[in-house]
Amino acid sequence: MPTKKTTPDFILLIVTFSLLAVGMTMVYSASAIWAEYKFDDSFFFAKRQMLFAVIGIIAMFFIMNVDYWTWRTWSKVILITCFVLLVLVLIPGIGNVRNGSRSWIGVGAFSVQPSEFMKLAMIAFLAKFLSEKQKLITSFKSGLLPSLGLVFTAFALIMLQPDLGTGTVMVGTCVVMIFISGARISHFVYLGLLGVAGFVALIASAPYRMDRITSFLDPWKDPLGTGFQMIQSLYAIGPGGLFGLGLGESRQKFFYLPEPQTDFIFAIIAEELGFIGGSFVLILFSLLLWRGIRIALGAPDLYGSLLATGIIAMVAIQVMINIGVVTGLMPVTGITLPFLSYGGSSLTLMLMAVGVLLNISRYSRY
Amino acid sequence: MRVSNVTVRKRLALVLTVGILIFLIIDLRLGYVQFFMGDWLTDKAKSSWSRNIPFEPKRGEITDRNGVALATNISAPTVWAVPRQIDNPGETAEKLASVLNVKTDTIYNYITKGESIVRINEARKISHEKAKEVRALDLKGVYIGEDSKRHYPYGDYLSHVLGFAGIDNQGLMGLELYYDEELKGEQGSVQFYANAKGQRMDDMADDYQPPVDGLDLKLTIDSRVQTIVERELDIAEAKYNPDGIIAIAMNPNNGEILAMSSRPNFDPANFQTVPAEVYNRNLPIWSTYEPGSTFKIITLAAALEEGKVNLDEDHFHDPGFVEVSGAKIHCWKSGGHGSQSFLEVVQNSCNPGFVELGERLGKEKLYKYVHDFGFGQKTGIDLQGEGKGILFKLDRVGPIEQATTAFGQGVSVTPIQQVAAVSAAVNGGTLYTPYIAKELVNSATGEVVMKKSPVEKRKVISEETSKEIRRALETVVAQGSGKGAFVESYRVGGKTGTAQKAQGGRYLENNHIVSFIGFAPADDPQLVIYVAVDNPKGTVQFGGVVAAPIVGNIMEDSLHALEVEPRKEQVEKELTWLDTPMIEVPDLLGLTKSEIRQMFVNLQIDSSGVGTKVVKQSPSAGVKVKEGSTIRIYLGEE
Repeated sequence: MPTKKTTPDFILLIVTFSLLAVGMTMVYSASAIWAEYKFDDSFFFAKRQMLFAVIGIIAMFFIMNVDYWTWRTWSKVILITCFVLLVLVLIPGIGNVRNGSRSWIGVGAFSVQPSEFMKLAMIAFLAKFLSEKQKLITSFKSGLLPSLGLVFTAFALIMLQPDLGTGTVMVGTCVVMIFISGARISHFVYLGLLGVAGFVALIASAPYRMDRITSFLDPWKDPLGTGFQMIQSLYAIGPGGLFGLGLGESRQKFFYLPEPQTDFIFAIIAEELGFIGGSFVLILFSLLLWRGIRIALGAPDLYGSLLATGIIAMVAIQVMINIGVVTGLMPVTGITLPFLSYGGSSLTLMLMAVGVLLNISRYSRY
Repeated sequence: MRVSNVTVRKRLALVLTVGILIFLIIDLRLGYVQFFMGDWLTDKAKSSWSRNIPFEPKRGEITDRNGVALATNISAPTVWAVPRQIDNPGETAEKLASVLNVKTDTIYNYITKGESIVRINEARKISHEKAKEVRALDLKGVYIGEDSKRHYPYGDYLSHVLGFAGIDNQGLMGLELYYDEELKGEQGSVQFYANAKGQRMDDMADDYQPPVDGLDLKLTIDSRVQTIVERELDIAEAKYNPDGIIAIAMNPNNGEILAMSSRPNFDPANFQTVPAEVYNRNLPIWSTYEPGSTFKIITLAAALEEGKVNLDEDHFHDPGFVEVSGAKIHCWKSGGHGSQSFLEVVQNSCNPGFVELGERLGKEKLYKYVHDFGFGQKTGIDLQGEGKGILFKLDRVGPIEQATTAFGQGVSVTPIQQVAAVSAAVNGGTLYTPYIAKELVNSATGEVVMKKSPVEKRKVISEETSKEIRRALETVVAQGSGKGAFVESYRVGGKTGTAQKAQGGRYLENNHIVSFIGFAPADDPQLVIYVAVDNPKGTVQFGGVVAAPIVGNIMEDSLHALEVEPRKEQVEKELTWLDTPMIEVPDLLGLTKSEIRQMFVNLQIDSSGVGTKVVKQSPSAGVKVKEGSTIRIYLGEE
């Protein structure tokens, strides 16, 4: 166990703060009209986002100083707690329904999404599990199957809410971790085929998912129903052009794009700041990915590597799915854009995850 | 097997590469949406943001060839409501409903709609009196807007041809429909951008798209001729109480329709008050029936062109009937016309004589000319609802069909086909496509956008044949069955027709369509006029008795109106005991009163002025007047 602490990854910190700054600005710009209309206070969402950012940053700096091995010790307990919460949230009266999914637990502003915590808990646990059982990972039966069994049990619980977006991010993250830990490529091929079959089965079981897929292929087929969000998103992005309409000049935020400050905030960014603004955000995320992988490479042990991999994979996959949806590359799934979308639990959890990354970076061999 | 650190590092590098690659793909997609789909999306987005306030264009006017307005627009008030400004919708609805004669609920629904401005459709284009009443109510949030409404200043005049436009100023019938695309213009709009709640977005400039007014349509119709025709049809309608009347006046030299009318007719402003078949059917082009003897002109033309007859030298004996394949076909005159030249056959409209001409031609030749003159097919006039008529199929034509066709029975034709065909027969032999729209004019600039020129379909007969037909038909009017159409000095030629009406496979008794087709002047025809009267009451049903005088009247006044020079030479009218003889006014200038008194017996003199000799006279020398007419002279010193 290395003991020599160095300074944390400064570039990662800068990139994170840059994303936060863009996020704060755009949450205000995107939500001002809606906030003014609904709450008579154009800063309604911006103020809350600011508060969550402050809480998140404090948490991040705190966690940055917590040795990441601590999470190995606690990962089992945290995972079991999350499993319990995931079961509890499904019980009417305990879990609250929002946007058609029973994914919230708690009261009012203090509500949380257990599935969001589950993502992190799963990363922490899997990092520990895989680093301890690395010898077995090439074995299908004693290495791969138990890890995947665990992941898919959590996924199944999340899909009961249902929350396809979070579930997909979690599975994707875990698959990347298993891949990094050295699982056989051939196993992945088989599992890939199995995954496709499972995906088809999921769609077959809930017709609204099929609607989302067809609406993604041709949103104009049902412009007021399944294609509505997609069209409104493209109406924002399209007119943006190279330089955008200018900060604060979005038209689509005028009640056309529903809740523009949340999942579709990237559409408003592309509308107001254009291709340049959108590309800038993508570059920031690429830098984040680079720093994350670099931290994984420099981690003093396999556990650190896997933990960093999990965290950065989660962020990157979430970014890919969110922007993929917003630009019409993928069917609509409700998922936030890390650091940019409005939303307390999403933002604080992301910042906490960066805190873990920063801590690992302090033990870097580089 | 233990996984080496190298594997982990390799795979991490791979994940980084793949991740960056995916970000790149997403960025490319972003660029694709913004640059390649950008314009298209921007248009679609703009139309989703924009709210249109339409501006209606002015519908083009329809005028006659001299610019007399036949269809124009007048302003018409329409009631609008702004729901948000109405404090007490119940009361407003009640008051408005009682004035407009609409159910209160209907109005209530309008004025409580969640729209910024609502048009009360039940109160569109109301009268100015009603609008005044609404104004007098002084209701908050209720407004009167000006809309435009089609107006036909001459009422039922030319109604079938003009047709009418509906409440949205859309052409529904007649020329209004046929030229709707040109007349209606393009809607303009003020476009403003609004958010999804309908409020105006201040920072986006409004777009004003001015409406494009419709083009004015100038017709070939001459309102002077049309007025004369309408007048004569009104008189005929009062006199004969017929089932219907049809009249067409056309310039035979180019196919321009100068007048077209029919009875029963209707007022375009109140077309709903007559049965649909009245306004739906423009009889001069729609109706098809057996033409009767007017069709003999075609047989005559064919026989002359083919050299089968010499009108003066060939003779024919009519015993009152002719036997064709064992069947007896009777002449309209029982006992027959006896021995006659073929010119007399034409003058007498002798059926057996025309059967003879048909036989000389043979069915192929006869039918070739029938087709060449345009029967059995639409003339192509620019009006909706033209009929085609029915001819025998050539392989079904036996001797009897050939015989009846030769004198105008067993074929079914439209009035416009007859006018076009006879025009060709008398104009030198050229068949023209009749037309009624002359020009489309941009009302703002006066620029002529479309100008129609005459369309020659084909040359049917030679100039010489045409000339011979004119001669023969002038004698029909001067000396034969068409005397009713005679106009002094205007050399009217023509042919009567009395067609039987078939119903349920048999001919009706005492129910004919009597017609006359005439042209003038015979040396250079300027006008062809066709009149058909369907089942005139209280008269002998002969074309020469009923229809010929109507054509004569129309012809006389129209030729004056068109300023056609009277002719010096003419085939003199063969007088019947009904006619007053016409005499030529002598030159009286320079004569003294006593000299004049010695000259005449049969003219009245009305003198004025002081003097010994005539210095002015009216009518002037050479004019023909009826015996006993008055000549006014002015006396003075030389």
